[in-house]
Formats: sequence, C-alpha cells, structure tokens
Amino acid sequence: MNRAQREEYLREYSTLKNQGKPFFPYAVAKDSAMACVVMAVIILMTIILGAELLPKADPTTTTYVPRPEWYFYFLFELLRVIKPPELVALATIGIPTICLILLFLLPFYDRNPERRPERRPVATLAGIFTIVAIGYLTYLGATGGSPNELEIEAPPPIQAAGGEMLASYEAGRIMVAQSGCLACHKIGENGNDGPGPDLTEVGQRLPSQAIARTLQNPTAPMPPYDELATKNPEQFNNLVTFLSQLRE
Amino acid sequence: MPKVKLPKPPVPDALVPRPKRPGTAEKAGPRDVAKETGISAIDWVDERTGMSGAARWLMFRKVPKGTNWFYTLGSATMFAFLSQAVTGVFLAMYYIPDPAGGAYESVRYLTNEVFLGEFVRGMHKWGASVMVILVMLHMARTFFFGAYKYPRELNWIIGVVLLVLTFVMGFTGYLLPFDQKAYWATVVGVNINGTAPIIGPYLNDFIRAGPDFTSTTLARFYSIHMLLVPGALAALIGAHLWLVAKQGTTAPPWMKADKKGDVGEERA
Amino acid sequence: MADRRRQQKPKLTEDQGMPGAFEGETVTRRRAVTSSAHIFGGIAAAAFTLPALGFAMGPVFEKAEVGWEQVGAAGSFPMDTYLPKVITVSDGVGEIGRTTVYMRARNPQLDTEPEDEFNQFVALSHRCMHLGCPIRYVDASSRFICPCHGGVYGFRGEVTGGPPVRPLDRFYTRVRAGQVEVGPRYSVNSEFQRYSPRDPAQPLDGIGPYLYPSRPTIRKFPNT
Repeated sequence: MNRAQREEYLREYSTLKNQGKPFFPYAVAKDSAMACVVMAVIILMTIILGAELLPKADPTTTTYVPRPEWYFYFLFELLRVIKPPELVALATIGIPTICLILLFLLPFYDRNPERRPERRPVATLAGIFTIVAIGYLTYLGATGGSPNELEIEAPPPIQAAGGEMLASYEAGRIMVAQSGCLACHKIGENGNDGPGPDLTEVGQRLPSQAIARTLQNPTAPMPPYDELATKNPEQFNNLVTFLSQLRE
Repeated sequence: MPKVKLPKPPVPDALVPRPKRPGTAEKAGPRDVAKETGISAIDWVDERTGMSGAARWLMFRKVPKGTNWFYTLGSATMFAFLSQAVTGVFLAMYYIPDPAGGAYESVRYLTNEVFLGEFVRGMHKWGASVMVILVMLHMARTFFFGAYKYPRELNWIIGVVLLVLTFVMGFTGYLLPFDQKAYWATVVGVNINGTAPIIGPYLNDFIRAGPDFTSTTLARFYSIHMLLVPGALAALIGAHLWLVAKQGTTAPPWMKADKKGDVGEERA
Repeated sequence: MADRRRQQKPKLTEDQGMPGAFEGETVTRRRAVTSSAHIFGGIAAAAFTLPALGFAMGPVFEKAEVGWEQVGAAGSFPMDTYLPKVITVSDGVGEIGRTTVYMRARNPQLDTEPEDEFNQFVALSHRCMHLGCPIRYVDASSRFICPCHGGVYGFRGEVTGGPPVRPLDRFYTRVRAGQVEVGPRYSVNSEFQRYSPRDPAQPLDGIGPYLYPSRPTIRKFPNT
C-alpha cells in the first residue's frame, strides 16, 4: 500500500464516517442487544449442560482416557494424525508457532490495498481453508474414541440368529477392545489409523480361517495370539467370529 | 351500541387546585432535587477531571454508515470477558488451591452445596467456550473485511495477543477444578511446552515448580489464571478499544462514500 | 574531527535549541540528570522484578529429593507379565504425588541391556512418552497402549507404533532384605541406555539429548 493509496483510503473513510451515525445510541443499541444474546446463550448452556465435575484427579490411573476441552480438539487431532516420532516437535510446537507468526505478521505480508473479500481471492480462500481445516480437525478430534472401547452394533443376520452366535459376537467385540487391537487398527470410527491395516471390512476380504491363521502367525510388529488359541480356544474363537463378521 | 356518557361526579371545593399567584416560584419536588444534586455532582467531577469531553468523544463519535450486526462481535467478546471476570471473582471466594484434596473438595462443595453454585460455575465454564467462539468470529470478521489493513495493523497485533491470552486462560483454568480431565489435560499441555528445543525442559520445571507435579504447581496456575493473564487481558482490551475509538470503526469493504451524501452499495 | 565538532557546539541547551531547555542549563548537566532518571528508574524496577523472578524460578535449580520405596517381596514379581504398583514420587501433595509403575522381574532372554544392581527388576513408568497420557498394559497382546494419540509399546516398553519418541521411562530398582525397592526415574533411548529423566516428547536418539538437556532438578545416578 503506497502513500497515495493510504491517503485515498483515509479520505474515503473520513467521508464515510461523516455520513454515519453517532456511536451512542445507534451502535450501542446493537451492541447491547448482542450482549443480551450472549448472556442468553451462556445461561441456556449452563442450564442445559450444567457444570459437570468429573472424578477427582488420579495420577495413578491406567484406564482414564484424557480428552481436552472442545476448543483444543483441533490441536489434539493434529497430534494424533502426525504419526512419525521425528515430527512430534513439529506438531506440538512447530505448526502452532508458524501459524501464530503468520497470524501476527498478516498485515505486513498482505499489502494488497483491496479490502473486499471477493476481490482478494487468495486471502479469502486461505481464510476459508483455515476455518474448514480447524473445523474438520475439531470434528475428527471430537469423534476420536478410546482405543480400549469398541461400540459396534451386531449386523442384522447375527442379531436374527441370536443365541450363541450373538453371544460369541459380543464376547469377541469386548475381546477386541480389551486386547489392544485398536491401538494399531481402525474398525469403523474407532481405533488408530496404522501401523496395522484397516479392519472395518476385514470379514469381506478374508475368510475366518485366514483371520485365525493371521492372528496366530502374524507379520511383525503385530504380536502373535497363538498362546490365546491354545490356552483359551473359546475366547480365540469369539475373536475370530467377531472379526469375520466385520463388513461394510 | 349507543355510548352512554355518565356525567363526571362533582369535585369537592377543597380538592380543586388553586391557580398559582403570579410571582411565586414553582415548588421543587423531590424528583427535581435529586436531578439537581445529580447534575451538580457530575459537574463537580467534570470540573476536576474534564472527563465529559472524553466521554463525548467516545460515545458520540460517528460510526460509518453501513456497519451491521457483524460489528457487534467485538463488544460481545468484551461482554463475555466481563461476565467471566465477575463470575471468576465469586468463584475465587470459595476456591482453595490445594492439590492434596482441598481444591477438588472446594469445587465439589461450591458446585453441590452453595446456593446457585453450579449455576455460577457453569456460567464461568460455558462463558469460556462462548468467549473463545466470539474471539474466533470477531477475528474472522476482521480478516474477511480486510479491517486489519492500514491504519489498523497495530490493533490486529494486539488482537492476536488477546487471542493467545484467551487460550492461555482456557488452558490454565482447566487445571483448577482438579478432576481427571483437569489433571491429564494439564499434563499433556505442559509436556507440549516441553518440546521446545533447549528451553523446553527448563520451561517445564518452571511451570511445574519441579520435575514432577508438586504442591506449588496448582498455586502457580491459579495465580496465572486469576491475576497475571486477566490483568494483561484487561490492559490490552483497553488499548484495543482506545485504538478502535481513535481510528474509528471500519466501514464494510463494499461501502463507497457518495458525494451527494447518500451511500449506495456498489455491485461487483 | 568529531572532537572539534563537539567543541564547536554551544554549551547551553538553550543555544542548541533542545526542546524543554531552560536558562543556564548545560548539555552535561542535562545528560547527568537524564541518565540518573534512567538508572534510578531501572534500579527501582529491578528491585521488585528480580527478587520476584528469582522467587518464581527457584524451584528450577533445586534438586528434588530421591527416596526408595518398598513395593513387595522379590519373589512376587513374574517374568512374563507386569504387575502395577503405586509409588510416591513427590511428597506433601497426597494422592497427586503418586504414580503407577509396571513391575516385573528381569528376563535375561529379553532384557539385553547390561545387568547391574539397579535393573534386577524392571519398573516401567505408566506415562506415555508422546505427551504423558496414562498407558495401560494389555495382557492379551502384551502391549502398552496409550489412549490419547495412538502410542503403542512392546513388552520391554519399546515403541512399536504411533508417535512416541522413545521407550517408556524406567525407575531404578534394588533389592534390600528380600524386598524390592523402587527409586528415582530415568529415561532410556531406543538402545535402552540410561539418561537423566526427561519429560515426554523429548527424544534421546541422535541429537535429542543435546536439544533437550537434562535439568538440575532431577538427574540419573552417576555412572549407571
């Protein structure tokens, strides 16, 4: 923005300002109405959602699943999607610092005198992209479940069969959740994306014999479950039953 | 239906107001006395501070034509901050920053036992969320309307500092109820600080006042949450507002001043 | 050259046209008063800033106390699975100063790090080395699983998946009168070499130990 453009802006602005209305009461009326809306939202949220107090802090827990407040979900998800250990510092400090510096210096590198959003497409698109990215990461962070839990409805044929089949399926589901499969595999919305393959529809890809074989003799780094098969064949069968029923 | 008009009942002589005699001043009622006292008190203050000029400058400055509801987001954010400040002061009356059990117990007591306790704590908790959203919306409005451009660059920078401080408030306020979420989110947050090369480990020791979570850690967070950052926030909000008043509220970018005096919207 | 020019300048501030000059004031006098304004102001500000900062920074240089805590008889720990034990790592804060360690006896077939008096029993910290979330040991797959960002550790605490930067931290252990005692924490790199305790997310391979130096508050035992 050169000197002529600045003066042009100041001239234009002072005319616009002179054609405006006084701050009080015209702008203040809108501001006060908005303040009432803000208070109404806060009070409604308080009444509907309450102020929940979770169990007392316990540093010795091994079962608690920490999740941040919703407005930190995008940072939380960023930490989840950046997998390689070498890039951890990038996710924790690097990217947030770079974003903050870009935000701080915005008026200095965006020197385009144009102010209308539709006439500065790069800035507008960058802004929309940032908002969408933060929104998407927030959504992913909000839906990211614990790797120790798995909530999947039994498919209709299993539910229809009922009885032993359904019981075996449910036991297998709990077994999967408690055996740590979700630490490396993804099943539907649950679990981590890697290092293992996605198991959401493994039943479609592999017959149950193949699943049982893989469980007993997997490729590293997956741990073998042959001990389970010999010591507790019933639980092992439940596991296989559940996995072989995973289809889209 | 025909209207029936009843004659007015006769007024007794004693109640008929006497017409004023010329030369007697109207008697000042209590309302007039109060009004007079108020005006003279304001005059007294104004004579010694000269504040009326500043107030006139602040309140009756002109706002460009075309400002719309998007322009209320800033004041709404400030309003959320005020609400946080007031509810925070009252929460502090019950809160004990003692990690050995007092902190959680005091929050449990104020939530469950104190009259309106859960309501005030809820307002503080959800007010934080609302404030974060409003800060974001206000920032988005400033960005898309190009309001950070000349001559308002400095105010944009102050705004970014305010955004960061708002997140710091969110982060330090987390720990205070001392429940599971509070503790573990703080552990993760502190460890995120620790990934800064070279200074990270020392920074962590400083935040925690030791290599592990100690009795001082909670007091540190409490002091930062209710003294240090709110002070900085209030000061910077003051600077932010002063610059807004001095430079004037921006006009929407599509507004064009019209020489004849009325403003038309230009089509792109 | 510069000297001569200074001599040519008039001595009085009035003659130099300095703003705020008053009659008879010389440049040297003004300079003396200006610098004393800066110095006294600086001293006064430092007088409350420095002690307050030092007060807040004090714990950064203070060595935390180290204790040993009994966790059970030497014979009670298995070799092929872990037992969780709760120990106290910082005093005076009640339950908040405690933590969980996963304990087992040293298994010579698996544990390849050099044997000494401090690793007859393996005690792993339950803090994920990504960002410190509480991990859980899953017996069926003999893995440690972090509930936060997808960290997975193998039986020895080595990273087998996800973002953690180094194996799980360990604690010194020793045997006294048939009882296993757990001491201070230390960190290990991917070769299980001991390092002074670091916070999570601070790698110890390559240039890691230099990027994230050890702190005065907590150190490993010398020569271990």
